[in-house]
Amino acid sequence: MSEAILETKGLAAGYGKKRAVFGVDLSLAKGEKLLILGHNGAGKTTLLRAIFGLIEPMAGSVMLEGRDITGRTPAANVADGVAFVPQGHGIFKSLTVRDNLELGAFAENDKGKLPERLETVHDLFPILKERASQVAGTFSGGQQQMLAIGMALMHGPRVLILDEPSIGLAPNLVERVMEAIATINEKLGASILMVEQNVQLSLPLADRVMVIKTGVTVYEGSPEPLRDHVELMKLF
Amino acid sequence: MDLLLQLFVNGVINGSHYALLGIGFGLIFATTRIVHFAYGPIFTFAAYIAWWLSGAMGLPIWLGLLGAVAAAVTIGLLSYLALYRPLELNRAPPLVPLIASLGLYIVLENLTGVIFGSGVRVVDVDYGIFFVGPVFFTSIHVWQVGSFVILGLGLAAFLRYSRYGKAILAMTDDPDMARVIGIDTFRITLLVFAIGSLVSAVPATLILVKNGASTHMGFAAVFMGFVAVIVGGVGSLRGAAAGGFVVGLVESLGLWKIPTEWQASIAFIVLYLVIMLKPEGLFSMARR
Ligand SMILES: Nc1ncnc2c1ncn2[C@@H]1O[C@H](COP(=O)(O)OP(=O)(O)OP(=O)(O)O)[C@@H](O)[C@H]1O
Ligand SMILES: [Mg+2]
Repeated sequence: MSEAILETKGLAAGYGKKRAVFGVDLSLAKGEKLLILGHNGAGKTTLLRAIFGLIEPMAGSVMLEGRDITGRTPAANVADGVAFVPQGHGIFKSLTVRDNLELGAFAENDKGKLPERLETVHDLFPILKERASQVAGTFSGGQQQMLAIGMALMHGPRVLILDEPSIGLAPNLVERVMEAIATINEKLGASILMVEQNVQLSLPLADRVMVIKTGVTVYEGSPEPLRDHVELMKLF
Repeated sequence: MDLLLQLFVNGVINGSHYALLGIGFGLIFATTRIVHFAYGPIFTFAAYIAWWLSGAMGLPIWLGLLGAVAAAVTIGLLSYLALYRPLELNRAPPLVPLIASLGLYIVLENLTGVIFGSGVRVVDVDYGIFFVGPVFFTSIHVWQVGSFVILGLGLAAFLRYSRYGKAILAMTDDPDMARVIGIDTFRITLLVFAIGSLVSAVPATLILVKNGASTHMGFAAVFMGFVAVIVGGVGSLRGAAAGGFVVGLVESLGLWKIPTEWQASIAFIVLYLVIMLKPEGLFSMARR
């Protein structure tokens, strides 16, 4: 793989004095789709939130294209091309779809780029155009997830971080969302860092996989060996 | 019938006053989840600053109003920066800022008494008296309603159309998600404390002109703001404004049948009934 766009070294994070992530080394290559798997409470969300600056890392560093961005605010990260789709439905439920998408570009200074980006998002998820005036909280789970991803794209990210985008979705919707993520990677050139528990449906997408168990990396490498053990992976 | 009409007009006038307090207090509460009881003594302090500039120094009342706005915004920002912010950074449980706010309430009220003395302070401003048919009102009453219309519409337009207004709505909906899309929630918090405090200075100055300023008047102000927010529904400024009018109208129209001594208790009874019968507020939209 080519040079790393996002990297962590010995990243540790947690809540209060309790650590949940212990020294994770991670490297996302430019254009790559890296999948992080792990059981409930393994520390996946904590890891992503520490990378994105929503919680302060306790040790280690985060690098974007070789520059140290450890502990930088989410606002700075968004402005620098890193977008995050949080676990659950990362949307504003009381606002309309249109307002949500507009807010997705909140930190963008060049408003001239927005019409084109909105078109990209609409092409990817036509429902967001058809239902632009609908209050987002009245969307179904799948539609809310599409909106959440659409919001993240409004900033034209180079790195897209997703926390369990499949959660609570019916299998056909999960496939739909995974397809969209693949398209975002191929057509828009965003590198993808995705956390999942749905091994079966997320594995085909991955270029590389990391498995995390109670805050430490237990496997890192090609998805191939895991493919034959999907049954085993379900034990997570 | 004439009496009822007059009571209705009085209700609209007082309702405008409560609605403004509801909007100011509610904006801070909805966006930051801080129950800012010290909003009351800030209201009082603003009124005294207006009195000091206009009543004591003899400047025109609009300069008194400007001074009141500046004082309220300054103390509002300082109360967040010096008191609530450190608690937030230390992840204090929600009860702690609530108690801290009550502490700040007492300190600010005492400070106001020490600086300005404890008597009622009045300003001498000429105002017109009007009769429309059987209904009586003064130009101060017109200003009370007018200031609500101006500030209410102005704030609504700001929230709806400006970039920072939308950021406030986003943070009100979900503070964590607001940070995710790159909103600096610290700046938005300062912004709502500034706007909320600014709003308090306007009814404070009008009450000074109408009734004079007294040390303890902040209690009624923050209480009515709080009641307006709960009655209308937390998180919606339209609700807070509507809640203010409901309280104003019920309080005033209640006088038709209820003895005057009970007027002060009416707001509390309305609050109690709403909490019992429709805890999400009368005008809350179906959200969440
Ligand atoms: N806000 C919090 N305060 C305290 N502890 C937390 C908090 N959030 C998570 N934890 C703890 O940190 C550990 C890791 O949680 P995390 O949310 O990162 O797991 P996860 O891998 O994302 O799990 P899931 O798949 O269920 O989302 C868990 O033990 C959890 O209980
Ligand atoms: Mg998680």
